[in-house]
Amino acid sequence: MSAFSPGEAATPAAVARVERARLARPNGWWGMAIFVATEATLFGTILGTYYFLRFNNLHWPPPGVPEPKLTLPLVLTAILVSTSVPVQLAVSAAARGQLARGRAALLFAAVLQAGYLGMQLHLFVHDAHEFPPSGSAYSSIYFTMLGAHHLHVFLGILLILWILLRTASGLTNYRMNGLRATAFYWHFVNVLALCVLGTQLSPLA
Amino acid sequence: MTTTVTEPGLRRVERLERIWVEPRGLLGWLTTTDHKRIGLLYFFTTLAFFGAGGIEALLMRTQLSQPEEKVLSPETYNQLMTMHGVTMIFLFVIPMAIGAFGNYLVPLMIGARDMAFPRLNALSFWLFLASGLFMYASVFMHAAPNAGWFDYVPLALKQYSPGRNIDFYALGLIFNGISSTAAALNFIVTIFKLRAPGMSINRMPLFCFAMLAVSLSLIFALPSLTIDLVYLELQRNLGFHFFDVTQGGDPLLWQHLFWLFGHPEVYIIILPAFGIATSIIPTFSKRKMIAFPLVALAELLVAFIGFGVWAHHMFATGLPTITLVFFAAASMMVVIPSTIQVFAWTVTVALGRPEFRAPLMFIGGFIVFFVLGGLSGIMFAAIPFDQATTDTYFVVAHFHFIIFGAAVFPILGGMFYWFPKVTGRLYHEGAAKLSFWLTFVGTALTFFPMHIVGLLGMTRRVYTYPSSLGWDAYNLSETIGAFILTAGLLLIFANLAYSRFRGAPAGPDPFFGGTLEWATTSPPPSFNFPVIPTVRSAYPNWDVEDRRADAARLERGELVLDEGHETPASTVVDAVPDEIVEMPGESPWPLAVAVCTGLLFVMLLTRHYAVAGVFAGLALLAVAVWNAKEPQEQ
Repeated sequence: MSAFSPGEAATPAAVARVERARLARPNGWWGMAIFVATEATLFGTILGTYYFLRFNNLHWPPPGVPEPKLTLPLVLTAILVSTSVPVQLAVSAAARGQLARGRAALLFAAVLQAGYLGMQLHLFVHDAHEFPPSGSAYSSIYFTMLGAHHLHVFLGILLILWILLRTASGLTNYRMNGLRATAFYWHFVNVLALCVLGTQLSPLA
Repeated sequence: MTTTVTEPGLRRVERLERIWVEPRGLLGWLTTTDHKRIGLLYFFTTLAFFGAGGIEALLMRTQLSQPEEKVLSPETYNQLMTMHGVTMIFLFVIPMAIGAFGNYLVPLMIGARDMAFPRLNALSFWLFLASGLFMYASVFMHAAPNAGWFDYVPLALKQYSPGRNIDFYALGLIFNGISSTAAALNFIVTIFKLRAPGMSINRMPLFCFAMLAVSLSLIFALPSLTIDLVYLELQRNLGFHFFDVTQGGDPLLWQHLFWLFGHPEVYIIILPAFGIATSIIPTFSKRKMIAFPLVALAELLVAFIGFGVWAHHMFATGLPTITLVFFAAASMMVVIPSTIQVFAWTVTVALGRPEFRAPLMFIGGFIVFFVLGGLSGIMFAAIPFDQATTDTYFVVAHFHFIIFGAAVFPILGGMFYWFPKVTGRLYHEGAAKLSFWLTFVGTALTFFPMHIVGLLGMTRRVYTYPSSLGWDAYNLSETIGAFILTAGLLLIFANLAYSRFRGAPAGPDPFFGGTLEWATTSPPPSFNFPVIPTVRSAYPNWDVEDRRADAARLERGELVLDEGHETPASTVVDAVPDEIVEMPGESPWPLAVAVCTGLLFVMLLTRHYAVAGVFAGLALLAVAVWNAKEPQEQ
């Protein structure tokens, strides 16, 4: 029995002890890893479709559709990707038992992310008025890809808000696992953001 | 465990029973998180769908029994043909093999007390049931999907299929895919993390390797189907352009994405059969599987290669020659892991002392059909042959030998093999052997002549054919075969139903099986094992001393975990015990999430998108409430 670390830990100090004693990653981390794997495949398929359609078309984007904007998406994505830093800081702070500091970092990240999402949705609607998704294969895959990306950012924000809510009444081993899984997901969403941005801007190359 | 249990041991078992008890009656079934009960729910649900798919097949065979038959209209035939394919693949074979067999057996075989995520497991089942009901609602609205299970565009586009038929198909399969993804994720984590102390990855039962390979395939294959279906719905209902050439789309995009999923899917269907075969063969041959590591690797390799061969379903679509040659070569590679396994199965039987009871006979039938279907499969890798026989009954013959003969025979054999474990009673051996011969002869008679009519030029998917082409006798014999097959299947279920109530008591281990499910009582208690077993080989139930040690540990209270609703979690490769995980118990919320998701899909079908959004929100809310109940903290 001594081989086992304690099943539950209800104080930040106890959580930190469990974190140090652990031999393997917890079930929740693995669950998130597999979920990320299937989501990555999903996005791989969408990006693959983008290039499949691109190489089937002589003009990309087709005549009458404006080329993608460069500056604003770049700046916005840079802001989004930078939120990985506070999210990871939140994890390491919580793992050391410093819950309040971790929660503050999470809240900061969530605010930036929500700002990003708001701006992006505004751009999305603006673009949809300019060249609706029913116009061509280009606009269809453009809006599908961006829509899927925004949905994932939204899910990530929901997860972060959820973990903020859960840790309001203190940290436990179970919640620490949840925090780690959420951070994992968030980093993944940021990697996706870079892939989507690269694809979105590819006609400029 | 034949050792008598003494007073302290009994007290511990009673405590476990109190901790793991679930509510009785209907409420218990609706809120259950017990992997064995969820497995049984899957079993009976998939059996019902199997019945529906079977009736569809019999109706089609009746229509085709003679030329110019008028039993079915062309439109009805198309709907039956599509629903038969969709049902047998998505609502029978996969959920039966993974949902029913996998759920019931994987935790038992690895010595765990439940799946890694018990409530997610319940959710998988309820989503599966809801998606099945969703798709079958179309039958009652005379709007069943009618463009084939592959649903090729442009036929499936709005211009050519204006009804709701295709929307039922697309939304139903997205829905079904959520369930499968959740189940696959659960199996992978369970297999990685919940193996009994000492069950390092090389000591894991081959059945679990097959389940791992299947689950990984699902995780990486389903997204391309899901996305394909999303594109289809966006194009059908919101005017997007993915598949029409005039706006820069491409109908081949559908086929690429569909078969990028569809070919791994074929191996998803067949791999559990490999797993069942590798369970039954050692037991009745009374020896361990030969080439154990090679067989394990072959199972994983089949799943892996399955992702590189999809275009062999598209040899007749005008792809560049270099593409065709690449995929032909890749398809040939599948032969290698398949042959390794066929060799291992047959040689294990040959080197053992085989006892041909019904389960092993079904495995024999499986090997026959797998080899025959495999041989016709290799023929398709020859591109000119494929282009000549594509869309003929030769293809239908090939994949029915594989998908019925090879994939379903082990499931039938497995039903007999694990029946004593699940019910505590023995099936009737004589009737079981008779049912094997009926299904074997029926299968051969139904599907073998299809090779010949295929080569004679009979095309797939036709609802009737003229006389004078020389096809009549073959078609009649196929129909007769289908009814013989049905008789065999009915005899199987009659045998099992009768034995459930009248069979002789089986005891914990009637066949002297080597894996851990035989180390506990039949049926297993809600907590599976009174004491978490420790493992030193791939056939732990044949390590008699270890099992005696389990009994002794129960007396001492070691690894009993009778203080909470708990199971141990281990390291991924070596299964070194790492922590004790508090497992969640019964919960009504998975069912609630499934109901909200079902209504969400109904709203998408009827194009009430705002209401659909409300149900999506409700589903998320139900997930939140479900998660609000945390494991009890100290």
